[in-house]
Amino acid sequence: MTEMLSYDFMQRAFLAGILIATLASISGTFVVLKRYSMISETLAHSALVGVAVGLVAGFNPLWMAVVVAITSAWLIEYLRSSFSLYSDAILAILLSGSLAIAVIIVSLGGAFNNSLFSYLFGSILAVSYEDVVTILVFGTIALGLLLAFSKELYFIAYDEEVAQTSGVKVKLLNFLLVTVVAIIIALSIRVVGSLLIGALMVIPTVSALQYRVGFLNTALISLAFALISVLSGMTLSFYFSLPSGATIVLCVLVIFVVSLVANKK
Amino acid sequence: MKFKVPIFDVKNLNFNVRGQKVLLNISLEIFNGEYVAIIGPNGGGKTTLIRMLLGLETPTNGEIRIFGKKIKNFKQWQQIGYVPQRASHVDANFPATVLDIVSMGRVSKRSLFSRMSAEDKEAVRDAMLKMDILDLKDKMVGTLSGGQRQRVMIARALASKPEILILDEPNTGVDMASQKSFYALLAKLNKEEKITIVFITHDIGVIADDIGRLFTINQKAVICNNPKEALSCEEMTELYGIDAHLVHNHKHQH
Repeated sequence: MTEMLSYDFMQRAFLAGILIATLASISGTFVVLKRYSMISETLAHSALVGVAVGLVAGFNPLWMAVVVAITSAWLIEYLRSSFSLYSDAILAILLSGSLAIAVIIVSLGGAFNNSLFSYLFGSILAVSYEDVVTILVFGTIALGLLLAFSKELYFIAYDEEVAQTSGVKVKLLNFLLVTVVAIIIALSIRVVGSLLIGALMVIPTVSALQYRVGFLNTALISLAFALISVLSGMTLSFYFSLPSGATIVLCVLVIFVVSLVANKK
Repeated sequence: MKFKVPIFDVKNLNFNVRGQKVLLNISLEIFNGEYVAIIGPNGGGKTTLIRMLLGLETPTNGEIRIFGKKIKNFKQWQQIGYVPQRASHVDANFPATVLDIVSMGRVSKRSLFSRMSAEDKEAVRDAMLKMDILDLKDKMVGTLSGGQRQRVMIARALASKPEILILDEPNTGVDMASQKSFYALLAKLNKEEKITIVFITHDIGVIADDIGRLFTINQKAVICNNPKEALSCEEMTELYGIDAHLVHNHKHQH
């Protein structure tokens, strides 16, 4: 363990991992309760468009991922509230559309290389000091917003219409939630990868729900599961030379199966 | 009985969906302290009317005023408690204790980041006490019976200390015994707490003794100021689409 933490890149990866586990699990609690789990997959693919633009045009891919993911989140929310389209259909359309755009940009720019691969599946080796600072700054803002409006977001997740008739600004807060989720996903893809971040956002909460406890305890259990998965996933990844994102997701899957079996009615 | 302040003032309200007329030229007023029941056939527009009063649907034309203000300028929604049709159908997996749900009633009253104030806690406790669910506060809502869930939903609405309570057939899936005590509770809230009640129901005979006025909605509205007489009137029978008759609720003598 001491040997592992003596490496600078592992210190950075652990710091980034702890931040991402916290952000993904807390935002994931609201996303899952709103039955909006698939949005994390769609936004992760939209973030890839930003990464592709960044890699091809020479901008910071993480920043571009944040911009494109937020734009995509707003587009989803606009389409959902302004047109009579099914939410899951909107998510499916934008998911495949984003992936197609990302692949075309990258292949036209000739940047289909290891750099993109690390954003697809995550890489602890790729986490720079600058990435950690970016995750810390934007993550703190995102978490602050979630905590400030947690009671309203919980009410909306429970019953959107009743929340609206109680004076809660449902439309505005739905935009806020998808914006925060977009930021968190874009920040996370460096470590977990865009194809796997959805799992870290959704599975800890779904596992926590199996224990049938109140909202606060569900959020705390979800946070604990995400932290355990990230820390154990990164450790296994270091010692067995496994890809970090996939190992983290397998760890959270084990927790899910154990929770499911242990709480079977 | 004289009422002065109209809580809801609806004038010439029309609502069309894809060319179909759902509500036709509805005009009505609901005053402070009233107990109004709304009846009508399924698809007659009862729920649509309620949704418009709550700002969830926008009328094709016509005007709605709440406490004298045009609905688009009305902001004090916490004065109105709403219990929807699906009240007793709670998702069993939703992570919520009774206390979590009832506390939602105070959400729009608090400021950012603040925890529940002593006043909030008192209002939540008071609402649970009135609904006789204080001993259930730490139970998960998904484990409760239909009747208990119904009380939880009303407690949530009461926690914001509303002046008016709007209930849309909240007793679907609730057993008869629970329904009876529920009606007694609504009557008590109206008489003792002076809460105005607007109640969509099919069990009009059972609550005929409690209600002040009866609105029959089937595209158009017929307003009957004496519900017992209204229940036998030809006009209502025609609107309701079946032979309507009154089933008297003989109260038990203790």
